[in-house]
Amino acid sequence: MANNKEMWLQKAHKTIDELHKLQPKLNAVVSFVDVEKQVDEAMDKTGPLAGMPVILKDNVLYKGVRATASSYMLDNYVATYDATVVSKFKEAGAIIVAKSSLDELGMGGSNITSFTGPVHNPYDLSRIAGGSSGGSAALVASGAVDLAIGTDTGDSIRKPAAFCGIVGFKPTYGRISRYGVIPYASSLDHVGYFTREVKLAAEALMLLSGRDDKDMTSISTPLENVVEVLDESLANKRIGIFKNVLDAIDDEDTRALFFDLMDKAKEQGATLVDISMNSNLIKTVLPTYYIIANCEATANHSNLDGVRFGTHEDGDTLEEIMTNTRTKGFGPLIRKRFVIGSYGLMDENQELLLKKAQRVRRKLVEATEKMLESVDVIVAPASSHVAPKLNDPSIDQLSDKYLVAENYMVLGNFTGYPSITIPMGMKNHLPLGINLLSKAYDEKTLLQIAFQLEKLTGLKGLKAKVEL
Amino acid sequence: MSFEMVIGIEIHCELKTKTKMFSGAPVSFAKEPNTCVNEIDLAHPGTLPSLNKKAVELSLTACKLFHLEIDRLLRFDRKNYYYSDLPKGFQITQQFFPVGKNGYVDIDVDGSSKRVFINRLHMEEDTAKQFHRDDVTLIDFNRAGTPLIEIVSEADMRSGKEAAAYVEKLRTMLEYGHISDVKMEEGSMRCDVNISIRPIGVNAFGTKVEIKNLNSVNNVERAIEYEFERQKMLLLSGQSVVQETRRYDEATRTTVSMRKKEGSVDYKYFPEPNIFPVYVSDEMLAYVEANLPEMPEDRFKRYIHEYQLNETDAKLLVSNKALGDYFEQIVQLGGTVKLTSNWLISEVLAVVDQKGEQSFAQWMDPTFFVELFELLDKQVISSKQAKEVFTWMLKGQSPKVTVEKQGMSQVSDESLLLSWVEEVITANPQSVIDYKNGKDRAIGFLVGQIMKLSKGKANPALTSQMVKEALSKR
Repeated sequence: MANNKEMWLQKAHKTIDELHKLQPKLNAVVSFVDVEKQVDEAMDKTGPLAGMPVILKDNVLYKGVRATASSYMLDNYVATYDATVVSKFKEAGAIIVAKSSLDELGMGGSNITSFTGPVHNPYDLSRIAGGSSGGSAALVASGAVDLAIGTDTGDSIRKPAAFCGIVGFKPTYGRISRYGVIPYASSLDHVGYFTREVKLAAEALMLLSGRDDKDMTSISTPLENVVEVLDESLANKRIGIFKNVLDAIDDEDTRALFFDLMDKAKEQGATLVDISMNSNLIKTVLPTYYIIANCEATANHSNLDGVRFGTHEDGDTLEEIMTNTRTKGFGPLIRKRFVIGSYGLMDENQELLLKKAQRVRRKLVEATEKMLESVDVIVAPASSHVAPKLNDPSIDQLSDKYLVAENYMVLGNFTGYPSITIPMGMKNHLPLGINLLSKAYDEKTLLQIAFQLEKLTGLKGLKAKVEL
Repeated sequence: MSFEMVIGIEIHCELKTKTKMFSGAPVSFAKEPNTCVNEIDLAHPGTLPSLNKKAVELSLTACKLFHLEIDRLLRFDRKNYYYSDLPKGFQITQQFFPVGKNGYVDIDVDGSSKRVFINRLHMEEDTAKQFHRDDVTLIDFNRAGTPLIEIVSEADMRSGKEAAAYVEKLRTMLEYGHISDVKMEEGSMRCDVNISIRPIGVNAFGTKVEIKNLNSVNNVERAIEYEFERQKMLLLSGQSVVQETRRYDEATRTTVSMRKKEGSVDYKYFPEPNIFPVYVSDEMLAYVEANLPEMPEDRFKRYIHEYQLNETDAKLLVSNKALGDYFEQIVQLGGTVKLTSNWLISEVLAVVDQKGEQSFAQWMDPTFFVELFELLDKQVISSKQAKEVFTWMLKGQSPKVTVEKQGMSQVSDESLLLSWVEEVITANPQSVIDYKNGKDRAIGFLVGQIMKLSKGKANPALTSQMVKEALSKR
């Protein structure tokens, strides 16, 4: 059956109208994208994404469209080429309707630091959507689109997915090309996405993944057809319950929802196994992440100097131009991170900071690998609590609750293993999520188990109702 | 007090690849500014490097030529600094694990051989080119990302001559290896010299000065000799040498201070996270080893043995690779070895200035020489006429066309020659008398008259022989 151009155009325009209505409430869109030409070019496409309106996080480049990474530094930057993931969308016939807000340059977990202002949680506008892919998460949760691209360096897809009650997935490092995605920290950055159903996440993986010669870290390991085998039951599946994380969570509702779901999984034939790693080692996750991510980020963003593109501030010397541009172009949090990163890279500090952090990362990877020897997936609540208030005073960053329960998902970035968050229940009408981590390249098992758990929660397709 | 100098040399050379070190943009020289760039060269957000396989191959070839140990696990690092000619704000280089280390070359200085050790060879990318005008700086990004190798010698050289010989040796080997264009004046090969001096007998090193901007082998030698004298004068007058970077000023033939070194800069080197270590495969290494290009000394031997050239001619042809290549091209097309080498060395080299930037073959069709030699061999033209034909070859006209247009074909028809001989001898009885009186130059005079009569077409050898015969019968 031939595609109906009018229908696709109508659908895209309807989505854009919806986004415009949501914008005063969620503040999740940075730029809207023209769809006419895209629809024209997609007319011969078939498959699960053909004609589907989708959203890009604003750190993904789409030729001819502004790409700000939510930083004033790139306020006027228009992409000169397509990211590989955009080319994949075009091949699949998806229609890109908007670019979504993020924490400036992807650095943050709240989506409060975007230069366009904070993104609001569709379940409660006084709460955060989470970050850094908060705009994409909020828009998928609101039902405006079914699929939105995010990036995940610490837990930037999987945490907002939990706060917004949707599916947030990042495959194995290198599975989806990073070419054309404005980086945060190259060795930790993953491209992934949000959906409201695990099945669409599986379908999208088939279309967005693949070796890309433009990204030397992309992998050629073949991907099985993860859609066909989704329906495999939980019998014979071994689920590892991440003890360290559960022990660090004091919220009884969160624990109850989690264990309730695990009981149901057991009834379906899954084997539950308690697993853990050294309790001191796991507390190193956050500081290790901070050093590696900031060191890489400092160098990655040295190209933003006001010389060739982006925001430019004048000065009498080259040094002045660069200093003025970077002082005005970046928010205070970013500047702080660059100072930390630069400090960690200095000759006299590198051994003690970056190199040490890299060695600790290795230990954490080995410990995670070891945990996965005896199980198919490691699971734990994606957050100990529901989405915090926008004006929440900062929590005690040295408590176990924070160091372990709120940051363990970084293990998915240290290892590069595939990881997914799905909603596991509601507390006071606010969603809570569960996170799964599997072995490298084993997206198949990860998605199978997530698909079965989704059936057990009954939260497939969960949507927030935003009061307009 | 006598001093000796201690010299180490760093050479950067652009690799002869079609595309850049980490991007698919074309490598170009002298193209319109900013036309050979893509988003990677300009470090647009989201771009990632892709390693150029050909650049790796050429670097491995260079390692083999300089007897370097090859590190088969290729690793790259970031060298961080902010400057407008460095789009990413860092340069991708091989700081921690150079592809090659601990090698050597042998150089000849004043007839004796010396081994200069090479510390390391690594791959990296070039910066953009800047043009400073009164109040603006113009940037041409065509050069940004061009593949480079840096070759760092040990501080093994002790004179300007040795340094020049080292640079020349590397230059020739890199050219013969098809690794680089090695045009120092155009910057495709750049040379930085580190020099310090110390009293003879002292083992400790003196303060090191770096000299940049050396755009010819001659300037390397001159700059070093000047710098030696300068540092010597400083020390002898009780002053000390300052650690600094100087540049060679061609106009005054002196070195001029550029900047003092205030401690070393911290480039915050760290491994490039976007390039995983690449292992050089057995196949690639085998390919490089099997395809090692001929080096000058091999070509010299081949010219002596295969072509039976004398040493002087062979040396001349080998010293100019392009001329040697041209020589072989003509010989392969059928030119005789001896004639070809003679013509190239005596006639072509005399006017080589006219060639300009063109290659020899572009300048003058090699088949012209084959035609020329055929015309000589068949005695269609005399060697005197051949010189005139050559002047037309320089203008792009083939020898056959010249012979036709100029009516040049030589007369070897004996009956016609004989009639000219009789005519000239009859007209010059005094010459016959002179000849009888033993004055042999009368022959030359008569031949000259015949040449005049024949408008230069008479076959000179045959004519001379016939004149002799005719005279002896009188």
